[in-house]
Amino acid sequence: MAADVTKTETTSNPGVSKRYHDMWKWDEVYWASHCIDCYPGNCPLRVYVKDGQVVREEPAGAFKTVQEGVPDMNPMGCQKGAGWTRLLSADERVLHPLRRVGERGDGKWEEISWDEATTEVADSILDAIEEVGPESIVAPSGCNIGPLALVGRGKFMGNLGGITLDLNAEMNDFSAGLYMTWGTFDPVSSIDDWFHSEIFLIWFGNPVYNRIPHYHFISEARYHGCEVINIAPDVGPSASHADYHMPVRPGSDAAFALSMCKVVIDEGLIDEKFATEQTDLALLVNTKTNKYLRESDVTEEGSSRQFYAWDARSGQAVLAPRGTLFWGDVEPALEGPFTVDTKDGPVEVTTVFSLMRERLEDYEPEKAAEICGIDADAIRSLARKIATKRTNILGSLNNASKHYHGDLIERSQILLLALTGNWGKHGTGMRSWGSGFLDGMLAFFLKSKRGPELTGNMLDMAEAMMQMTLQNDPTLTRKIVSVEQSRNSEPMGFVPPVFFWYRFAGYKEAWDNADWHDPSMKRPFEEYFNEAVEKGWWRGADVPHEDSPPRVLIECGGNVLRRTRGGSKRLLEHLWPQLKKIVTIDVRMSATALHSDIVLPAAQQYEKLGFGIPSSHVMNLTFCDKAVDPPGEALQEWEIFRRIAEKVEERAKERGVEPYKDSRNRTYDPKTLHETFTSSGEWLDQEVIFDEMLRDTAMVGTIPENASLEDLREKGFYRWQGLGLSARAVAQATDPQPDETFVPFRKHVEEGEPYPTLCRRSQFLIDHDWFIEADEHLPIHKEPPGIGGDYPFQVSSGHNRWSIHSLNTANDLMLETHRGEPHVVVNDHDAEKLGIEDHDLVRVFNDAGEFKVRVKISSGACPGQVVMYNGFDNYQFPDWAGPNDAEPGMIKWLHLAGGYGHFKYWATEWQPCPVMRNTRVGIEKA
Amino acid sequence: MSASTTGTRQIAMVLDLNKCIGCQTCAVACKSLWCKDEGTDYQWWCTVNTMPGRGTPKDYEEMGGGYKDSIPVRGIAPSREDFGGGWKFNHSEVFFDGNPEHKPLRVAGEQPQWGPNWDEDQGAGEYPNSYFYYMPRLCNFCTHAACVDACPRGAMAKRSSDGIVVRDEDRCRGYQFCAEACPYKKIYFNYELKISQHCIGCIPRLEQGVAPACARQCPGRLVFVGYLDDEDGPIHKLVNEWKVALPLHPEYETLPNVYYIPPLAPAPFNEDGSVNEAGSRIPPEHLESQFGPGVHDAIDTLKTEVEKARSGEASGLMDLLIAYNWQDLFPDFTRDPIDITWD
Repeated sequence: MAADVTKTETTSNPGVSKRYHDMWKWDEVYWASHCIDCYPGNCPLRVYVKDGQVVREEPAGAFKTVQEGVPDMNPMGCQKGAGWTRLLSADERVLHPLRRVGERGDGKWEEISWDEATTEVADSILDAIEEVGPESIVAPSGCNIGPLALVGRGKFMGNLGGITLDLNAEMNDFSAGLYMTWGTFDPVSSIDDWFHSEIFLIWFGNPVYNRIPHYHFISEARYHGCEVINIAPDVGPSASHADYHMPVRPGSDAAFALSMCKVVIDEGLIDEKFATEQTDLALLVNTKTNKYLRESDVTEEGSSRQFYAWDARSGQAVLAPRGTLFWGDVEPALEGPFTVDTKDGPVEVTTVFSLMRERLEDYEPEKAAEICGIDADAIRSLARKIATKRTNILGSLNNASKHYHGDLIERSQILLLALTGNWGKHGTGMRSWGSGFLDGMLAFFLKSKRGPELTGNMLDMAEAMMQMTLQNDPTLTRKIVSVEQSRNSEPMGFVPPVFFWYRFAGYKEAWDNADWHDPSMKRPFEEYFNEAVEKGWWRGADVPHEDSPPRVLIECGGNVLRRTRGGSKRLLEHLWPQLKKIVTIDVRMSATALHSDIVLPAAQQYEKLGFGIPSSHVMNLTFCDKAVDPPGEALQEWEIFRRIAEKVEERAKERGVEPYKDSRNRTYDPKTLHETFTSSGEWLDQEVIFDEMLRDTAMVGTIPENASLEDLREKGFYRWQGLGLSARAVAQATDPQPDETFVPFRKHVEEGEPYPTLCRRSQFLIDHDWFIEADEHLPIHKEPPGIGGDYPFQVSSGHNRWSIHSLNTANDLMLETHRGEPHVVVNDHDAEKLGIEDHDLVRVFNDAGEFKVRVKISSGACPGQVVMYNGFDNYQFPDWAGPNDAEPGMIKWLHLAGGYGHFKYWATEWQPCPVMRNTRVGIEKA
Repeated sequence: MSASTTGTRQIAMVLDLNKCIGCQTCAVACKSLWCKDEGTDYQWWCTVNTMPGRGTPKDYEEMGGGYKDSIPVRGIAPSREDFGGGWKFNHSEVFFDGNPEHKPLRVAGEQPQWGPNWDEDQGAGEYPNSYFYYMPRLCNFCTHAACVDACPRGAMAKRSSDGIVVRDEDRCRGYQFCAEACPYKKIYFNYELKISQHCIGCIPRLEQGVAPACARQCPGRLVFVGYLDDEDGPIHKLVNEWKVALPLHPEYETLPNVYYIPPLAPAPFNEDGSVNEAGSRIPPEHLESQFGPGVHDAIDTLKTEVEKARSGEASGLMDLLIAYNWQDLFPDFTRDPIDITWD
C-alpha cells in the first residue's frame, strides 16, 4: 500500500486512503454525449480528463425544469454511457488501417499506411465505375455514426453517384401503419410529456431495457396517478413496474385493439367530434367497391382527390373540405348507408365508420379473447379506461412494425386512439421516432462557402417558393407542402434497399416463397414486385437496376452483416462474391469489419466533435466535444472520406477517368471529387464545419441567435426553440413552447390543419386495389404467416439492455453484467419438455438457417416463445452464425404499393422493410 | 454494542425499488470510479440483482454473519467463485490473431458458471403470474456494524460525522473476519493486495458536497441520500413518518442504513384468466423474508397513496417519491463536481 494512508485507529472520524481522493481528481472537464445512433439518447455528460487521458464520464445533471409540476429530465444516462471510457482503449479497437491477409473472414490483418489504404479503395472505386457504373458502389446506412460520418458519407456518396441504402429499411424502424394513417410515421412527443399520461400502454416495447435515461417519467407518472399497462406475450422486464400485464398471444394484438374499439363504440364512449374531424371515418364509401366516393365518380370534371361526407342536417352528400379538418355548418353523419347520384346512376354508399363497425362484429370481447388470449372483462375494462383517460401508447419506437402484419396492428391501435380522442393532447399519442431537425446540417450539404449569405439566400428562396405554392392552392398547409416536396424530389441520398436486396443480395428466393407470406397474397410475389416497378411507382428510387451489380461496399460505422434481417449467411453467399472491395470504417472490429478487405480506424466519441441525434423526444441539441486526440492512426470520418476523395481525384487524373453518368442521368467527374467534397478547401476542419452548422441552424431560429461552436462549448446543449424547416420537423405540427412539454399534432387537433394523406385526414380506409384484394383496406387481424417453416416456437426480440445495437457488446464491463455471451429466454415448462437446462447450449433452427446459443430459463417467457434480444454481434455466437441467419427477412408485398396519394418513397418513409418477429423455429440441445 | 459502532450522525439511503429498472448504471458508475486498480477486477461494490434470485455473491443470504439476539452469527467469507466476474476475454484471438475457424468471443480459459448478474430477469412464479423485481445493493453503513466489531486489527471504524463504515487499508491484513461477519456479504478480498475492500461511501465526493456516484448517476432517480435525523429531509420522512422505506433483512440485527421502498407488481390473474384486482403477484411471504413484517403495512400505504393520486387527491408521499427536482433526492449533496477546483 502507498505510504500516504490516513491513519484511522486513533481518530474518531477516520477518512479513506488518499489514493481514493486522488482517483476522483481530474485536470480538465469537457461536455459530452454519445452521438452515435443511440436514439433518443441526447444525454448531456461531462467527461473528465487526467494526464491527457479520459478517465471517466458522469451525467451533467444540468437540465432546468421545463414545466412546473413536471419532473425535470435529469440526470439522464445509462450503464453503457457510464462505461464508455472503456471503449476508448478497448481490446476490439481498431487503431491502424488494416488490410486483410488470407481469405475474407479469416481474421488476419496487416497494418498499412493511410496512403496505401486510400489508394486501394480509390482504385477499386474507379474500377467499379469503369466496369459497371457508379451505382455499383454501395453504402449501407450504418447508423452508429455521428454528424461527421453522416455529412462525410453523404457528400462522398452524393458526389460519386453511389447509392446509400435507406436506414429505416435496414434496421426496420419504419412504422408502415403510422404512415398509411397519418402520411408520416414520425410524430414524437417529448419524454417529459409522458408524465401527463393517465393510461400508459407499454405495447411493443421494453422501455426498462431501452429507455433507461427516460424510464423515470413512466414511474413518476405512475406515482402521479397514471396506470401502467404492459401488453406483451412475455412477463418481461417492462412488466415488473406495470399495474397490469396483459399476456397477449404473439401476433394477435390487432384483435385485442379492435375488440377494444368495438367496446368503445358499443358502449357509446366514442369521441365523435374527434373522430369525425381528425379521421376519414365520416367519409363516404361505395359499398360495392369499397372505394371512397370521389368527385370524379359524381361529375365528369370532378377531382379524384375530392371526397364526400353525408350532411345529416341537409340530408345529402357534401364535399369534404380539403383545406381544414373542421366541418363548419356540415353535420357529418358517422353511420350510413345512403344513396348518392353518380355519373353511373344512383349508388349505395356508407361511411368508413359503418364499414369498420361491420368489420368489428368479429371482435366481440368473448370472441376476441379466443384469438388474443386476454380475458373478455379485461378487454372491456381497459377499453373503458382508454375512452375516459389520456392514453399514451409506449413512449417511443413502437415495434409492431417488426411484425409481418405490424401495419395492421398499428392501424388498429391508432383506430383505438382515434375513437377515444387520444392524440394531439398532452400525455397522449403513439409514435415511432423522429429526427432531422438540424437545419444547419441539411444546409451544409448544399453550401459551397462559409457565411450567412448563402444560407440567407437559400432560406429566402425556400420561403418564396412556399408562399407561391400556398397562394396557388389555399387548401395547402406548410406541412403538406413540405412533405409533398420531399415526396416529389428525386431521391438524392438514400434509396430503399428493397431493389438491391431482391436483385443482388439473395432475397429473391425467400420473398418468392408464398408459404412465408400471408395467404391473402393472391398472386406470386414476383408479379407484385414487377407491377410496382413497371407502373413506375418507385421511379428514380428503384436502383440499382439489373445491369448494375454491386462492386464496392463501404460500411461506415454500421454493421450490415449483423443488422440485416435475412442473415449474414445470405449476404456472404450472394452479395459478397460480387464485391471486389469491402471497406469498413469503424472504431472497432464488428462482424462486418471481420469480413472486410480493408478496415479503416475511426475516432470514438470524446475524440471528435459530435451532436446527439436531434429529436423532439429530448428537445435538446446536445454536444460532444473533442477531449483527447484519437489513438493510433484513427481519424474522424469526415477526414477519412476526405482522404479517400482526394485519392480518387488523384488516381482519376492519373488514370484519365472521364466524367460519367448514373442511371438517373446525373453527371459526375471523379477528377474534381475532392474539390467538390471540400468545396475547394472550404471544409477541411471539423471545428469550421460544426460552427457553420450551428450558425446556420440559428438563422432558422431553432437555437439561440448567438449560437456558435464557442458558445455551445460553454453551454453544452440548446433547448429547441422551434423544430425548423425540414419536412419531418414541420410534420410534427406543433410549435414547441419553452415552458411546456412537447406533444405533436396539436395543429391538427386544435386548428384543424389537414394531414398529408390522400384524403387529408387520418386515413383508415386504404382503397388501393392491392389492399382491397387482400381485404386490408380497413384494419383487421390476421395471423402471422409461418415464416421460416412449420416449427413450434415463435421468435420475439427487441433491443437488449447491455449494448446500443452491437456497439458496446464486446465491452468487458457490459459483458460482466450478463453471462458474457448471448442467450435466448425460454419458458420453464417448454425447457422441461425439451430436456433443456439453464445455460445449456441449444440449436435454434428453421428452413432458413440456424444458430447456437445459451438458454436462460424463465417462467416469464410465454410458452411457445423464444426471446432473442438483438444487439449481440455475430462473432459472439459459435461459428459466427447469429440469429439473423434464421430470419428470412420477409417483406409484406403490400408495402410495394404506390401510385396512391401519400404512398410514395421519401427518405426513411414509405418503403418495404424486412420483418423478423414471429419467425418460426425449432429448438434442440446442441 | 461497542462504542466504535455508535455514530453521532448517520447518512442513510432510501432506494425506491418501484423506480429501479435494473440497468446497472449505479454498478458501472461505482466500478468505473473506484474499482480499476489491481485486484479489483472482479469487485463490484454496488450490484443490482433480479429478485427472487440468488443474489451477489451467490446465495449470500445463506452465508451467515450479523447477529441473532445480539450474539454474533458465525458466517463464511464468500469466495471469488461465489462473486464471479473479473472476466478476461479473448478479443485478440477473435479479431486480430487469425481466426479462420471463427471461434467466438468468450471468457478466456475456463467458462464461467456464475457472475455478478447471472440470474438476471429469471425471477419466479408460474406464467402468466411470473414476477421479478430489481434489487441494488451496496454497503449498508450499519449502525451495529458486524464487520467493525469483527476486525481484530482495529482497521475498521464507523465515522462519527456520517456513520460511513471505513477501512484503513493500510492496517488491514486480509484476515477476512469482516467478510465473515457482514451478513450482506458486501466485502471483497483483493487477491493481489491481500486485503479486504468494500464500498467507501464515496467519502471523497461526500466531503465535497457531491452525491455518491451510484446516487448521482442513477437514471431511474431512485436513490435518496441524506442524514437520517434531518426531519425536513426525504430519508426521515420515508423511513420514520411514512414508514414505507424498510431495511433489508432486519433479522440480521446490524441496523442497516440503506432502506428500500418495497416493490409493487402487476395484478395477478385468477385460474380462469380474469384479473385478480386485490391479489398480490409477489407473495407477501417473499416480501416479508426480505424486508421484515413491516412490509405489509408499507405496501398498503403505497397502494393507498397511489389510489389517492389516481383519484386526483394530493399525496405527500407520491410527491416525495416523484422527486420533481432531481436534486431533491440528495438535498445536502447537490454540488456539481465541475465547480470543484483541485489544487
